[in-house]
Amino acid sequence: MLSVVIIESMGLLCSRQQHFSESDAEKNAQAAEIERRIAHETKADKHIQKILLLGAGESGKSTIFKQIKLLFQTGFDEAELRSYMSVVHANVFQTIKILHDGSKELAQNGADFSNYVISTENKEIGEKLSEIGGRMDCPRLSKELAEDIETLWRDPAIQETYSRGNEFQVPDCAHYFMENLQRLSDLNYVPTKEDVLYARVRTTGVLEIQFSPVRESRKSGEVYRLLDVGGQRNERRKWIHLFEGVTAVIFCAALSEYDQMLFEDENKNRMMETKELFDWVLKQPCFEKTSFMLFLNKFDIFEKKVLNVPLNVCEWFKDYQPLGTGKQEIEHAYEFVKKKFEELYFQSTTPDHVDRVFKIYRTTALDQKLIKKTFKLVDETLRRRNLIDAGLL
Amino acid sequence: MIEELEFSDFPSVFICPISLEPMKDPVTLCTGQTYERSNILKWFSLGHYTCPTTMQELWDDSITPNKTLYHLIYSWFSQKYLHMKKRSEDVQGRVTELLDSLKKVKGQARVQVLKELQQVVAAHDSAKKTVVGEGGIGLILSLLGPFTSHAVGSEAIGILVNLTLDSESKTNLMQPAKISLMVDMLNEGTIETKINCIRLIELLIHAEDFDGGYVKRRERSEIASSLSLLVGLLRLVKDKRYPNGISAGLHLLKMICSYKQVRSLVVSIGAVSQLVELLPCLNSDCLESALSILDVLATLPEGQTALKDCLHTIPNLVRLLMRVSESCTQYALSILWVVCKLSPEECASVAVEAGLAAKLLLVIQSGCNPVLKQRSAELLKLCSLNYTAALFISKCKLTRTLQ
Repeated sequence: MLSVVIIESMGLLCSRQQHFSESDAEKNAQAAEIERRIAHETKADKHIQKILLLGAGESGKSTIFKQIKLLFQTGFDEAELRSYMSVVHANVFQTIKILHDGSKELAQNGADFSNYVISTENKEIGEKLSEIGGRMDCPRLSKELAEDIETLWRDPAIQETYSRGNEFQVPDCAHYFMENLQRLSDLNYVPTKEDVLYARVRTTGVLEIQFSPVRESRKSGEVYRLLDVGGQRNERRKWIHLFEGVTAVIFCAALSEYDQMLFEDENKNRMMETKELFDWVLKQPCFEKTSFMLFLNKFDIFEKKVLNVPLNVCEWFKDYQPLGTGKQEIEHAYEFVKKKFEELYFQSTTPDHVDRVFKIYRTTALDQKLIKKTFKLVDETLRRRNLIDAGLL
Repeated sequence: MIEELEFSDFPSVFICPISLEPMKDPVTLCTGQTYERSNILKWFSLGHYTCPTTMQELWDDSITPNKTLYHLIYSWFSQKYLHMKKRSEDVQGRVTELLDSLKKVKGQARVQVLKELQQVVAAHDSAKKTVVGEGGIGLILSLLGPFTSHAVGSEAIGILVNLTLDSESKTNLMQPAKISLMVDMLNEGTIETKINCIRLIELLIHAEDFDGGYVKRRERSEIASSLSLLVGLLRLVKDKRYPNGISAGLHLLKMICSYKQVRSLVVSIGAVSQLVELLPCLNSDCLESALSILDVLATLPEGQTALKDCLHTIPNLVRLLMRVSESCTQYALSILWVVCKLSPEECASVAVEAGLAAKLLLVIQSGCNPVLKQRSAELLKLCSLNYTAALFISKCKLTRTLQ
């Protein structure tokens, strides 16, 4: 907006040059006004604390971004909710296609191949849905299509394939959307907040929101600017442009991805990619004084997975020794992963950078209450840090 | 009642000149002086017939109960006693109120309640008893978790540190989320908070109570091996603004090094060189802790390498020999021995240049224990290997020592 004012005023200045002298005074006044506005915005800019959401693809950055929007801005209005409908529907088609194609692949080799053969009556549906899912523009989810998808979803072969979902790029929202097909295909369907949080779109470019944290039910005077980026490899080259003057980095790592492969490289384990990425980010010179908040995300999925899939399938966790079962084991596994990240942090941090803030949080980005509580802690830490830096604490 | 009160500010006329204690049964002699009955009778039974303070001979052996003084003393003490009781009840009442409100309030109000409770508990022993008696410890522990703010957490541990925690409370406090919270506060809090966290963590990893056996031991070593904790301690130990922080940090670090598995971690974060650099500025208590840590770390190959690689190891240690205490000398000698043994050629010359030889001679000639002397002799021999006798003697600056 400021730039528009400048251009307009410059135009005015240029076009009035040879006119009456009273316009000179006007010209000066306008120039002064512009100067004042620039100075004000620069000053205001200094007080804005920049927070960067970084992490590998599908680590939950955008979900956190949406949560912050819901918590501290006006949330999603009806128009915005509606705008997510096509995304939700596309997710449904994409998911069923991945499962269908996956089952065909599994049905070709392996000793138990017969488990993955789709029943004859569903084969045609499968092919049709697979074709739809492959399109750039997915159609609206009609009742008929929803029924077809539900039928295919319930096919034992598809369920078997789903249980091996980590071998394919099955999105985390799969189960949620598949169980809600009736509602999603309603004629008057408008996505709920929860649907929007689950909806999956690969972020490209940078998204930004500005907000004031709420402290003790009051809006504080401070302003945060939160930036969300794409996590896939080809997006990361855009990151470096955002690295200056960052107050804090929220690095998202999905706990549950230790047995999954990258979308952009099916031979690379996702957790190993995250490990390398975190290491790289930590070593960036511009982050010398930046506070690091590590969000160990997707704990809800991790909880269910860790008792069935041992952590050792990931090379980084190969020295893991399970203790027992049940809740205790989940906690033990979580503490193990947390310690690994802590180790990595201190290995990648030179002695003179050891003073920067580093905290680890266990999150489930889909849980709004949890994210609210977590962000409260992040806010407190950043506020204390500011006070310490200013010598007031 | 008089025993219950800890006052030393009672009026001087209440005091018996013989025992210097407040009188319970004051009696007056013919000289007009008043004493505690049992004391003056004892005086008489020893054969004296004088007034102890005026030294006058008594012309009248009657002793008159001083009723006035008796009543004065009695009412003075009663008043004080009642006042104390009331204050104690007030305190207890206040504690109960605070604990009740703690169950209900949140946010900033919760922080305020905890702050007040901390002040009351620190000032009054009766408050501590009340907190324990009314399940306050369990209540405060329940406030600590993964979502506890720093403000609440720091006040809570400020209270816990003043109370005696039973085994159940300690087990509760050892939950990973609570330990993480304490480690975070140790890294980010004020110096008081840091020291409180250190004291609580020390309480938990202290290996002396064996209840729980193996399980507890594993958990304790887990706590001790927290990198964030170790880095935070090192940072604290280097902060010259707070000497009590340095000594608290070193004390915990020493305790942690008693866990074998953690020692290489401690070396890996650069503790060796940082401690060596710190030695010249430490007071004697801290020196003992620091040296004992270095001594333990010197048992590891990586520790030995780190010691050797640090340029100031030898000079700083040599300077400490025979300077502070026998145990410091013992530690310093032990570490020097390890370093010199590791690479005799390199270290011997550095050591001798730093004046090691003269110091060793001092040790040998001193009244130290024989083991120490033996060690010194061996080290002296090791260092002198590359020198001719004449050169070595000159290096020893022996003539100066003799003078």
